[in-house]
Amino acid sequence: MTIVFDFIIGLVTGILSGFGIGGGSLLILYLTLFSGVPQYTAAGINLLYFIFCAPAALISHFKNKLIDGKTALCCIAAGVPSSVLAAIAAAYLDVGVLRRIFGVFLLYIGIRELFFDIPSRRKAPGRRPDSDLVSSGAESGAIKNPEKKTDI
Amino acid sequence: MKKKIITGGLAGAANGFFGAGGGLFLVPLFVRWLGLEQKRAFATSVAVILPLSAVSLVVYFLKGGISISSVWPTLLGGLVGGIVSGRVFGGVNVTTLRRIFGILIIYGGIRAVLLI
Repeated sequence: MTIVFDFIIGLVTGILSGFGIGGGSLLILYLTLFSGVPQYTAAGINLLYFIFCAPAALISHFKNKLIDGKTALCCIAAGVPSSVLAAIAAAYLDVGVLRRIFGVFLLYIGIRELFFDIPSRRKAPGRRPDSDLVSSGAESGAIKNPEKKTDI
Repeated sequence: MKKKIITGGLAGAANGFFGAGGGLFLVPLFVRWLGLEQKRAFATSVAVILPLSAVSLVVYFLKGGISISSVWPTLLGGLVGGIVSGRVFGGVNVTTLRRIFGILIIYGGIRAVLLI
């Protein structure tokens, strides 16, 4: 039964992860709160998990022309060294302290996700970044009007 | 260029330190700073986080060791979730999902801060 439940948790958080909506944070919470996994181990499991989950979603995003390649490459180049340093730093912290810091981070993110909209796109002169999107009909009405409230 | 480097650096820091959450930094910065359309920002964040996760994972593996044997059902679920995710993304209302996610994450955040 636990196996089925774990699979479902993986499935649901995987869908969110593929969207880029923080499935990983939820998975870490599940592992630490319900499976009793220590914070650092849970973080490691989530990283491994993302390697399983993200490629398929990424292929679809590529096919749908949703990836800004230049931006991605730049961010990856900058992110690799900071990832390594941060991962080493986390290894030396007390697990309880790490979990508390993670909690503060979650509260900040949670309040932001719950109460604030992602700001509408700034006008970038001379660029038509999503013309391909609109023509392919990939956007829903709600996304075309980011100001429109869709509170639950 | 400078903004992209700062954005990527922050995402890497979150990814390495927490083992998650890089995307949560990336999406708003992509939209606000770099002028990406929303869905594009979410999708591009996945493209950035995947290689960063691979790099962080190496460190975590060396420092802590990760046993796959106990978490394989979750990994398998993630594999299927990833496939589903890419296919349905076009028709998804991201805002509603963010709100639900926000509630769950605040609950988890409170428990994490209090270590309960």
